[in-house]
Amino acid sequence: MSAPSAPSRTRQAQDYLAAVEHELADLPAEDRGDLVEDLAMHLDALAAEDDDRDIAVRLGPPAVYAEELRAAAGLPARGAGGRSPAPGLRERIDGLVASEAFQRARPALRETRRLLVELRPAWWVLRGYLLVFVPSAVLGDHRDFPVPAPLGSHVLGVLLVAAAVVGSVHLGRRATAGQRPGRRLHLVTAGGGVLLALWGLALVSSGSVTGPEPVYGYDYATAAPEQAMGQYPLLNRYGPVTNVFPYAADGTPLEDVLLYDQDGRPLEVGFQEWWADGCYRVPVPPRAADGAPVEHAFPQAYELEPYATSTNGCLSEVPRPAVPLPVIPSDGAAEPTPMEPAPTEEPVKPVAPAPGD
Amino acid sequence: MDASQLLKGVLDVAVLAVVRDADGYGYDVVRRLRTAGLEEVGDASVYGTLRRLYQAGALTSYVVPSDEGPHRKYYAINDRGRSVLDDSTKTWRTFADTVDALLDRKADVA
Repeated sequence: MSAPSAPSRTRQAQDYLAAVEHELADLPAEDRGDLVEDLAMHLDALAAEDDDRDIAVRLGPPAVYAEELRAAAGLPARGAGGRSPAPGLRERIDGLVASEAFQRARPALRETRRLLVELRPAWWVLRGYLLVFVPSAVLGDHRDFPVPAPLGSHVLGVLLVAAAVVGSVHLGRRATAGQRPGRRLHLVTAGGGVLLALWGLALVSSGSVTGPEPVYGYDYATAAPEQAMGQYPLLNRYGPVTNVFPYAADGTPLEDVLLYDQDGRPLEVGFQEWWADGCYRVPVPPRAADGAPVEHAFPQAYELEPYATSTNGCLSEVPRPAVPLPVIPSDGAAEPTPMEPAPTEEPVKPVAPAPGD
Repeated sequence: MDASQLLKGVLDVAVLAVVRDADGYGYDVVRRLRTAGLEEVGDASVYGTLRRLYQAGALTSYVVPSDEGPHRKYYAINDRGRSVLDDSTKTWRTFADTVDALLDRKADVA
């Protein structure tokens, strides 16, 4: 484990190594040791090159290097230690406000403000519309966009919108004409308007998306599962599916259940390398008579990887997750034989379309 | 588009492909990826990926001591790594074809 002692290693390289090691301090000794050892060899290799640039220039700041290393190695990002992941954000904002560029942008900001004042009538109209749209969308169907249909009636929606717009514009004009409706009422309209706008925006954006979409945005902290996506052929809305736990209708946990998809292909799931207890496990599928692994037998059996987990605290048997099982009323005839093998010969008849379709 | 973002998603397959050609130590893999055109690849990302693939059982490793230069830890692909690479290759091809088709279609419309 000891890093090769290279007398030629410069002070700079030693400092860099120490800084990265410090950034990895919260990792288990084994992970940290390996990563630091790799870096030591890397630094030695770099030193052998004819390049006199600073190491922090070639490899990036130690903190960034460590962060990238953890993400790529599938290790948790630092942050449990209470250190802010982005130190200096506040300073950066302060710096931005004080910067010359920001000061130069001031006139433009003033211009924007003037434009917003001119756009006020448009806001009054929108506000009136939202006053009808938001409640009807909340109580009814989100698909009533853009014409709200309170009580299922688009005609009523149009009438209400017209009335609300007239009222809203009237209120707005009165306010700008100097007839202040009283400070409290003013606050209520302003606050309510902002709330309506945000709510409406949230409704439209959530209503227009019909289902859970796969997320392709890349969050560096979750790099490991993202990178491994190719190994997970089955995804649900919570992420990759790595196991399936079947139960009989009477609640009996079932073992070694073979699962197939709608086309009769064996159901493939990914395997989970790193578990919540920080231990590494490998799937051990049952073998068929010809020795081929049966990877669609569920639940998947996992074993601790012997060389990766000399660390203590790893359970050799991980219990099934606790699940709330529905109570299925017994039908008399079908219920008492849950363990009987599935009747594979039974012909599958196409289901006649329901009369309502 | 920032290529480094794309790179993170395919680094596993890129590293496995490089190591399949010939065993390599960390810096060697970094250089071969860069020579192949992935110039933005970060040293740390490659080292991290190598370690993760090794821990996942897709790579084996051995240390080659050296008298004058630094010791080197070589990584070699094994059967598991090859099968991961095969699967990933298929996934990548399908994905790339899909995106290509999308982009081409857009070009036709324009």
